[in-house]
Amino acid sequence: MTTEDLDSASGTSSVLGGGGQGRQVSSLTAFAAIAVVGIVLALVPLWIGDSRTLMGVAVSGLLFACYAIAFNLIFGSTGQLFLAVGAIAGVGAYGSAIISDRLGLPFPISMLLATGLAMLIGGGFSWIAVRRSLGIIFTGIVTLTFSLGFDNLLLGQRSITGGETGYVVDAGSDTFLRQQIPPYYVFLGLVLFYLIGYFLLHRSHIGWAFRALRDDEVAAELAGVNVAKYRIYAGTIGGGMLGFAGALWAHVEGFISPATFTFVHVDVPVIVMVVFGGIGTLMGPIVGSAFFTYIGEVLASFSQLRLIAEGALLIVLFLTLPNGVVGALRSGVSRLRGRRATR
Amino acid sequence: MTAVILDGIVLGLQFGLLGVGLTIVYGMGGILNLAYGQMAVVAAIVVSFALKWGLPVVPAVVLGIVTAAVIGLVLNLTILKPVYRRRGEGRVLLSLLVTIGVAFIIDGLLVWRFPLEALGLSIGGDPVLILGVPMRTGSLLASAITILAGGSLIYFFRATTAGKAIRSVIQDEVGAQLCGVNPAAVRTLIFTLSGALAGLVAVTQSMTSPVTISSGFDITILALLVTVVGGLGSIRGAFLAGLLLGLVNAASSFYIGSYITTIILLGAAALTILIRPSGLFGKHA
Repeated sequence: MTTEDLDSASGTSSVLGGGGQGRQVSSLTAFAAIAVVGIVLALVPLWIGDSRTLMGVAVSGLLFACYAIAFNLIFGSTGQLFLAVGAIAGVGAYGSAIISDRLGLPFPISMLLATGLAMLIGGGFSWIAVRRSLGIIFTGIVTLTFSLGFDNLLLGQRSITGGETGYVVDAGSDTFLRQQIPPYYVFLGLVLFYLIGYFLLHRSHIGWAFRALRDDEVAAELAGVNVAKYRIYAGTIGGGMLGFAGALWAHVEGFISPATFTFVHVDVPVIVMVVFGGIGTLMGPIVGSAFFTYIGEVLASFSQLRLIAEGALLIVLFLTLPNGVVGALRSGVSRLRGRRATR
Repeated sequence: MTAVILDGIVLGLQFGLLGVGLTIVYGMGGILNLAYGQMAVVAAIVVSFALKWGLPVVPAVVLGIVTAAVIGLVLNLTILKPVYRRRGEGRVLLSLLVTIGVAFIIDGLLVWRFPLEALGLSIGGDPVLILGVPMRTGSLLASAITILAGGSLIYFFRATTAGKAIRSVIQDEVGAQLCGVNPAAVRTLIFTLSGALAGLVAVTQSMTSPVTISSGFDITILALLVTVVGGLGSIRGAFLAGLLLGLVNAASSFYIGSYITTIILLGAAALTILIRPSGLFGKHA
């Protein structure tokens, strides 16, 4: 099968009709792209490093890039709509903060423990979804109920979580994580690590299984792909990625509150970013999170109109670029190539 | 005990009507309208302004419901057009994303122009004794309107030609088209009806607790839960699920406590989905 065949085969069944989603990217191109992203983002502090506010915005942009990559792995690669991105990250954040502050464990260890918990939850959702054969929407609703329930739990268990006023994280306060510039590079390192991990995973046999089950679940099952197993892999790994990023954020920021992890503040933007960038593409989450972090900052001065502008932008973008920026670029490139070949 | 059950029924009828407006739109064409709650809020704000301008209650309420219906109509005829070109889960997802955009715009406009507006219709009169329990007239009126609306909806879908045409599209879009039903016209009708229902819910809810401009998202989530528990596309299911969740809500907030109630409600919804993934009255996929 040529790449063109793969495209047309996936065209009807892939989630948003994706052009160019089934394509294999060569290792060289992928690593070159990751390197370019790394270098460009590494230069950002030279530009805005003086401003504490802007560095804060940049770090939260990288946090959202981490979320977006994880969501892209869970939803883009295996078609499981997890609407608990914020809640799973919140499990990591609150988990690590509470374990380190209350039990006195060093925070690197508490981060790992909390990540483990997030993996269990992510994998658990996948297991439930697979066992009850829930479709996209039902998986979405079940995870959404977890998300809302978790938010309520944080608000209600005031004595442990500090309720809506938030939780001041002590662990990590005397380290470089609380300085102005270093957290940016720590998070950039995490983003690059996630990107490389995402790519290597997709190049391995697991990636082949992901593509097979995304293109046609029944055909994949018949061809001997254990769909359940690979879905649970994706949920567990993605959950761990979310939990770790959340835990790191807790120790960097030094303050967490339920609002930081709600469905509206995390899941909605993350979905928007991933779909805008291109579901199931390596660079889509990065393009999406960078674009929306930038737009959010530009529109921040028009605070009243920000929501309206974002809403209008969403509608226009989704109706014009249903395959995302990366998808549109790819089909543009392949159209150019095709024209050259026929000439 | 009786009081708790009656409270649950009052609440449950509201939940049910809320779910119906969302479920018919999903059932007829795979549109998950996440701007549903915002449509309700707009209706509430319009009613609130109309009352301030000195309109009597009934015309004000009608104006609010018509506004929400018009929003539904306009959405259906403009930005949802490209969404209908897709099929299956692609359509659901695209509709969800696009209506999130609509919800943002409406929320943004409301926060910008009328940040403090809210609608609370207080219905006067002494509490009425029902089965020995004093019930507020507001709750009773809200329930009566809901039962009437629900009853006429069920009659409309079962007994009229337009209703049957709509159900045929819900069952099989292509088949209905072959029999001479125009799916586009049916969709327009349904979407307008869904908008009107959103408006009606806003009005009945404001009789028991005020609807503020930030209620939009909560209303959508609640409607979504009711819809899913009842089975996507089922009107009977939505009412039954509404009653179930209403009773659970009333019981747990009475016996256990308010913040746990939300968690119990969510747990009940999740549990129903897990036990019966197609919902109480869902089509078996």
